[in-house]
Amino acid sequence: MIGARSGLRLVQDRIATLRRAVVTEVEDRNRLIYHVLRGGVVISVGVLLFGFVLLAATGGEVPDHSIAPRSLIGQLSRFSPDGYLSLGVLVLIFTPVVRVFLSVLSFIDERDSKYALMTAIVLVNLITSLLVLA
Amino acid sequence: MDLLTALVLLAVAAFLAGVAGSYLGIGGGVFLIPFMTLALGLSIKIAIATSLIGVIATSSGAASVYVRDHLTNLRLAMFLEVASTLGAILGAFFGLLVPEFYLYITFGLVVLYAAATMARVRETARQRAYRTGEESPLSKRLGLSSVYFDQEDQGVYRYRVERPVAGFGVSAVAGVFSGLLGIGGGFIKVPAMNMLMRVPMKAAVATSNFMIGVTAAASASIYYSEGLVNPSYGAMVIIGVFTGTYLGSHLMEKAKASNVRFAFALFLAGLGLAMIVRLAFTGVPL
Repeated sequence: MIGARSGLRLVQDRIATLRRAVVTEVEDRNRLIYHVLRGGVVISVGVLLFGFVLLAATGGEVPDHSIAPRSLIGQLSRFSPDGYLSLGVLVLIFTPVVRVFLSVLSFIDERDSKYALMTAIVLVNLITSLLVLA
Repeated sequence: MDLLTALVLLAVAAFLAGVAGSYLGIGGGVFLIPFMTLALGLSIKIAIATSLIGVIATSSGAASVYVRDHLTNLRLAMFLEVASTLGAILGAFFGLLVPEFYLYITFGLVVLYAAATMARVRETARQRAYRTGEESPLSKRLGLSSVYFDQEDQGVYRYRVERPVAGFGVSAVAGVFSGLLGIGGGFIKVPAMNMLMRVPMKAAVATSNFMIGVTAAASASIYYSEGLVNPSYGAMVIIGVFTGTYLGSHLMEKAKASNVRFAFALFLAGLGLAMIVRLAFTGVPL
């Protein structure tokens, strides 16, 4: 027979488990966003530093205009410093976009339709302005 | 001034903008744009494009720390981003059609308005606490009210988000200015969240920092496609800002909320005064 005290403990355990689940869920979303934002800037800085090393090695001119995305791949395969500097800047511009995209997925995963929809609208707005790039 | 000196100066300025930007919840464009036009003699459009890159770097660098440490209200950010990204697209397209003179005038008016709104009372502990009474139905439906963790006194503060519709409208306007002027719009978003929506100062700073990156990304890509982004300037700004946000976000997390708010009021007042003086004596604010 379950006494009143052990019954209470069961309820308390159950509440603690639920609370942990909620905290973990929020925690997961926060960690994901943290890693995307931090990772994006770190990669961008890394690519930019590589661009400057190439620039120093080739002794070329400091670039004064950005490379259009469609001609970027050619520049990168030729290890042109201009290409890598432009890529670093583009990685940074895309970091918030990736963050928004992953937020949509995380809200869908949580079955939070209101926020999945709102975040999707933000993503559409972003893509609208990115299409101008192409 | 030779190019190398200019690039080094820009990196130093970007570092300082990164510190201030992450402490105040702004992108730092209001510091970087005048620096680039005045000290480096760049054209306003190149300065705006470069500044937008700095705004994204400030946002990504500082916001990652604030999100990890539970200062950011993610739901509120997502809600307001809907408005600010729409505004930013309008602003960026509009901005490229407008003569530079009007850009200056608009910038001046925005700064003065924000200074007058924010330079008021200091935030008290009572203002941070949860209030009783009816919660706005929209806030309730969207679950906007939240908690944040304050490292200064190790306190967990529950707060309620008020006037969500008005905040949404102001965010749309902030988005337009962001696209138009190449700034994050943080100096509009922070007062809007803190004074209008009654979000505690530190949560407002963190949430603003989180949002400005998205708004700026929308505008930055448009400026990039116009060929206005100079990758060398961009690179120096990114490296400088990223280093600065390490220091700024650490300082903000440890600071007293009332000090952050007071610093913000000072910043706005200084910005407003500087612009009046320049407008009066030279006819150009920056």
